[in-house]
Amino acid sequence: MAAPRSNREFIEACIKSGDAVRIKQEVDWENEAGAIVRRACELAAPAPFMERIKDYPGFSYFGAPLSTYRRMAISLGMDPAASLPEIGKEYLKRTNGEPVPPVLVDKKDAPCKENILKGADVDLCKLPVPLVHEGDGGRYVGTWHAVVTKHPVRGDVNWGMYRQMMFDSRTMSGAVFPFSDLGKALNDYYLPRGESCPFATAIGLSPLAAMAACAPSPIPEPDLVGMLAGEPARLVKCETNDLEVPADAEIILEGEICPDYKVEEGPFGEYTGYRTSPREFRVTFRVNCITFRNNATMTISNMGVPQDEGQLLRSFSLGLELEKLLKSQGIPVTGVYMHPRSTHHMMIVGVKPTYSGIAQQIAQLAFGSKLGPWFHMVMVVDDKTDIYNWDEVYHAFCTRCHPANGIHVYKNTTGTPLYPFATPHERKYSIGSKVLFDCLWPVDWDPVNDVPTLVSFKNVYPQAIQDKVLANWTAYGYPPVK
Amino acid sequence: MNQWEVFVNDVKELAEDTDLELTIRTLNPGLHKFTYKRVKCQVSTNLKKHVDQLQVRLGRGQLSNNRFSIQVLDEVQRMPAKYL
Repeated sequence: MAAPRSNREFIEACIKSGDAVRIKQEVDWENEAGAIVRRACELAAPAPFMERIKDYPGFSYFGAPLSTYRRMAISLGMDPAASLPEIGKEYLKRTNGEPVPPVLVDKKDAPCKENILKGADVDLCKLPVPLVHEGDGGRYVGTWHAVVTKHPVRGDVNWGMYRQMMFDSRTMSGAVFPFSDLGKALNDYYLPRGESCPFATAIGLSPLAAMAACAPSPIPEPDLVGMLAGEPARLVKCETNDLEVPADAEIILEGEICPDYKVEEGPFGEYTGYRTSPREFRVTFRVNCITFRNNATMTISNMGVPQDEGQLLRSFSLGLELEKLLKSQGIPVTGVYMHPRSTHHMMIVGVKPTYSGIAQQIAQLAFGSKLGPWFHMVMVVDDKTDIYNWDEVYHAFCTRCHPANGIHVYKNTTGTPLYPFATPHERKYSIGSKVLFDCLWPVDWDPVNDVPTLVSFKNVYPQAIQDKVLANWTAYGYPPVK
Repeated sequence: MNQWEVFVNDVKELAEDTDLELTIRTLNPGLHKFTYKRVKCQVSTNLKKHVDQLQVRLGRGQLSNNRFSIQVLDEVQRMPAKYL
């Protein structure tokens, strides 16, 4: 099965496999669509494809696009029943190869150019921008999308998923944190010069383009999409600036970021499961042009309590990118996993504990990397603990993490305003704190006399006894174990 | 009559019968519902004092029980001319 090349192909594949449902009755853009998506996330239900939207004939919504591992497997062209380790292995295999540069297509071959609004015709309210949660600070244009920019000096392209709220018919405000790629470019280059920064927002992306926009990978996102898909991404020039956007996207907004002018943004339901970050004056996006496909589908991600694609995909990509980083430093990690229900706050690292301080080395690399602001807990377990099995990880944490020696707190690090536990001051200035839970037996303990023996079926019985018991399990009167 | 909504951290920010500058959003039905304007205005807890009505939300989106009437005196354009 090939990876879907567009949001439309993805929806069809999901409907075919039972991972999306068509909703034919009219749905209100004010709260109702958001509530459907939220409930679908909380039930891990099929993704809702809402074909009729109140006030917006001809438009549709696709919600919760990647909030299950099944849909993530479909997005990669894999069997929907693929396990998480299999999906992760495939991601690592594809993203460890050579970058696959995108191809530029003519405007006539770009569906996103089927309708073009410029000048006085530009009005964001012509799009079915949803009020995702009751009480949100506004209708959110960008919840599952890519904000495309290009570094003014280096020329490298950045696709980032910075949430965008509709402020008025031509203005959006967005949460762009200072440690992000775009935040650095705005603060380092555009703000001191008083120059505006060209941007384009692409909505209704192929699932792999969305995955790339979400991934904290050093590979340029358009190349990463090609690597993930196994073929070049198709891009097309914008109408009003030099940026290139996915030709098959449903909706494109073009404009400029105004670095010296900010408007209010938020509050908004966030991936932590709370509305935490304060309403603030944030980055302003001025829209100059809107292009969209006929019968365009707007994608909606509804962040809240687990699990939605914000948690699932960020956990997935943060974990795998950290695994690459740690391996690049020669650390004998056996795997890295973030449970989505941690709202991508806890990194679980499996490692062969071959030398002292290895857990601290892992934590310092993890927290000090570009990935670091997005999580605040690292738990290091040994290579015999199954990092995907929370029961085993929790047991290791509760029994091997020394309360005085195994917990290491790092203060005054980079954080985000979205951390629910952070003080109002810390939220305002993106100040974080981090913690390492070292669940390894110390290497200076005698492995025979000091290290406790794990008492489990797998660990304490001879293989012959284990085999005998397993072979006779149903004969003893137990039902078969799946 | 127009319906408006404002976000504040504390209802005390809405001093009565004095000129205020607020960012308010329209709750009038239609495609432009929830879009914002920056305005000079006066508000009152006397709901009959002004024709337009103002609903209040607090910092994390909680709907306040406090209601006001509001008179929009003028629109304020904060955006620099170079972006208009």
